[in-house]
Amino acid sequence: MKAVVIGAGIAGLAAAIRLNSEGVDVTLLTKGIGGLQLSQGSVDILGYAPERVERPLEALAGFAATNPGHPYAQLDADVVRRAVTWFADLLGPDLIAGDPDTNVLLPTAVGALRPTALAVPSVLAGAVKPDTRYLLIGFAQLKDFGAPLAASNLARQGIAARHEIVDFPARAGEVDSSALRYAQALDDKATRRRLAVLLRPMVRDGETVGLPAVLGVNDPGAWKEFEQLLGHPVFEIPLPPPGVPGMRLNQALTQRAKDARVRFTLGARVVGKVVDGDRLVSVALGTAGRTRDYPADAFVFAPGGFESGALELDSYLKVSETILGLPVETPEGEPTVPDYWADQPVFRSGLRVDADMRVGGFSNLYAAGGVLAGAMRWKEKSGEGIALASAMKACDAILEGQR
Amino acid sequence: MKTLSVDVVVIGGGATGAGVVRDVAMRGYSAVLVDKGDLAQGTTGRYHGLLHSGGRYVVSDARSATECAEENVIVTKIHADAVEETGGLFVVGPDDDPEFSDRWAIGAAATGVPFEEISVGAALQREPRLNPRIRRAFSVNDGSVDGWQMVWGAANSAKRHGAQILTYHRVTDIFTANDQVTGVQCIDEKTGEQVRIDAGFVLNCGGPWAGKIAGMAGMGDVEVVPGRGIMVAMNHRLVNSVVNRCIPPHDGDIIVPVHTVCIIGTTDIKADDPDKLPIPREEVQQMLDAGEVLVPGFRDARAVHAWSGARPLFKDTRVQATDTRHMSRGMSLLDHGERDGLKGFISIIGGKLTTYRLMAEHVVDAMCEQLGDDRPCTTADEVVPGSESGKTYVVTHRLEAREKDRLDEQILCECELLTRKMFVDLFHDQPSANFDDLRRQLRLGMGPCQGGFCAPRATALALETGIVDAERATALLRRFLTNRWIGLWSIVYGDQARQTALDSWIFEGLLDIEHLPATAPEEVVL
Repeated sequence: MKAVVIGAGIAGLAAAIRLNSEGVDVTLLTKGIGGLQLSQGSVDILGYAPERVERPLEALAGFAATNPGHPYAQLDADVVRRAVTWFADLLGPDLIAGDPDTNVLLPTAVGALRPTALAVPSVLAGAVKPDTRYLLIGFAQLKDFGAPLAASNLARQGIAARHEIVDFPARAGEVDSSALRYAQALDDKATRRRLAVLLRPMVRDGETVGLPAVLGVNDPGAWKEFEQLLGHPVFEIPLPPPGVPGMRLNQALTQRAKDARVRFTLGARVVGKVVDGDRLVSVALGTAGRTRDYPADAFVFAPGGFESGALELDSYLKVSETILGLPVETPEGEPTVPDYWADQPVFRSGLRVDADMRVGGFSNLYAAGGVLAGAMRWKEKSGEGIALASAMKACDAILEGQR
Repeated sequence: MKTLSVDVVVIGGGATGAGVVRDVAMRGYSAVLVDKGDLAQGTTGRYHGLLHSGGRYVVSDARSATECAEENVIVTKIHADAVEETGGLFVVGPDDDPEFSDRWAIGAAATGVPFEEISVGAALQREPRLNPRIRRAFSVNDGSVDGWQMVWGAANSAKRHGAQILTYHRVTDIFTANDQVTGVQCIDEKTGEQVRIDAGFVLNCGGPWAGKIAGMAGMGDVEVVPGRGIMVAMNHRLVNSVVNRCIPPHDGDIIVPVHTVCIIGTTDIKADDPDKLPIPREEVQQMLDAGEVLVPGFRDARAVHAWSGARPLFKDTRVQATDTRHMSRGMSLLDHGERDGLKGFISIIGGKLTTYRLMAEHVVDAMCEQLGDDRPCTTADEVVPGSESGKTYVVTHRLEAREKDRLDEQILCECELLTRKMFVDLFHDQPSANFDDLRRQLRLGMGPCQGGFCAPRATALALETGIVDAERATALLRRFLTNRWIGLWSIVYGDQARQTALDSWIFEGLLDIEHLPATAPEEVVL
């Protein structure tokens, strides 16, 4: 059996790896390098509904009942649990930690407390516990993490937190460095050691030390080792894109897929399709000089939402899906409203799927992830849960059909 | 309560008020300018940025045309740092009546507005995105001017001549005694402190708010009609010259390149309240359609922000108030001494940004006449602080500056090449400023990402300066995002919708700003 997966975000990579592991011949087509690299490396299931959620899987049924158009109305707690557990097992404890039944609260880079269930362990280690005392470390040369702001806002919520700002250039003489530049620098053991030596005198007994998420991008052992060097508990706080924790997950997943012989075709856009009745026969990839057809028995469509360009609102305010031209469901009325803090309805637009994640009336085309209609993922903190569960369910249906 | 005593109080910190207070101060009077908000926060900051060549008026209003042509030269000289000498074109669109362009050329010659007819080919060579089907093109001396920078320049010049500038001071009463103005009562909106200013003369430069201000002095019949117009900024300069459509004034008849964007304007609808100016979707669509006529493909370009401004027009009972375009565009000067028997009070309504200096000259002349003083105006001769070099603005100024300091300075906002130092220095200078106040001077958050990356940085930095605490810093961030969205929601489509999704992932998905602990409610500026 042959399958084509479109999209290299968390949903596309998960689907490709899952199908491949069950003996399917998988080709992954992707225009870009995948949105996971912009992410913070957490697996959000449900954080707000809209009040803060403590037990996400338990909350799913009630949430789905009040939001019948939401992807979770078709993805019950069992499939979410199965998908998230599969994902955590796939990556192993060095890359994913946490419990799908329980949300923890993680300090954000501005000092809010964000609920999530699982995350890369170095990020999850920051979870607020009774009597936690935080020391947050900022780098003078890294503008995307304001340690005083994060610490002060945590303190305003009754959490013991203080900060220190250190002068620690990512490269000698550089005054303005990105998080990625720091992460690359801290892949180097000697640099980590220098940082630990600099920080050690600042830490008081019993403090948990929070750093911006820059403790290595390629070396998965960097965080643990740094903790030992410092002699105090250490955690990371994710920063705006590019997201170093997300990059770590992306690297691991991509490597997993490539090692298992998933074929990757990067850098070209799907520009056409061949249809026979209710079957999608092939998609055409717009490679240099010509288009190339990719026939398959099943297709998983996981190109992301508005942020990736898969969904588009044009200047006449019509929403479309830009790759296969599938019909988009969009809320009635105004696409956006003047109140910044309100839901912006257009972002609930997306594809409507059946119970097996089939889309557009096709018997062998399945959709997963951010392209699905009905969610407000950044508000709900539901992105990865939806992505993994919908990918899992699409894979289930494909594998069922194979049998 | 604080008490001040001066010769003259100027109410209103737009171009008119800033020009007037500068002129008053340069003629040797002690003066205070008060505004309920920030400088140039009203009409002056909410226009398309055109420094008129006069071309727009050569058919309809010969005197305005000549005044614009003359003042264009003066403003370019005294406000060099705020003016970009872009040059401009008047072009006849494929379906426009060519007869108007004949009248236009005759009018331009008669009014002394410099122009030159150029071939369509030459126009396209200069502006390759112009509609190739245009039928005729005239080159003129239009420019663009940053209204905020210009007003700050005038205000700083006034300060240098001894004037005080009090922003966020709302006038609550105007005192009179024996048919003579004696002063004003204000409240400092930032501190809540009452401020009384004793003065023998009050100049009401309130623009669309001038009627309300006149009412405080008992002049109940000064009716000012706000004519609302929307502007849409596209995220880069589709044209590098001002492009006007050579037709009678029409909605969306001009595209102005300003800083890193270009702005299309405008509409003209009677508004009820200058503090509540909507940005209706229909008018955005109208602008996009109008843009297509001048620059095909305009719709497919990325809109980055939209705003509404209110032209203040003194109501003339001879025309319908709903037809604001055909009301007088000139300045209305109401000498309440002659008109109403109240000495020491003049209201100034209307006028154009390009001729702000000349308007101010007329106003202060009128005041001097009433006071029996003979003090000549010198505002055309002295450049304002910051423009001494005589070098006009070019869009690459900041790039040049960053080339020099890039190894020593952090960039706070990559879109607008704003450094950490620029932000910190201005914040120390204006510690009660909110992020929008700083934005108007620094262009914080005005690029394509609309604050997506720089707003959290600015918040962290604001706290690090020690000027504000975390609660205030967080409130500043919230308010900034609230206010940015007012100019975004109606133009969120295409790549800006994509950007909004990314920004939402950052603000809500990653930082969870929504759930930061509560702050004191911050006022929203429409």
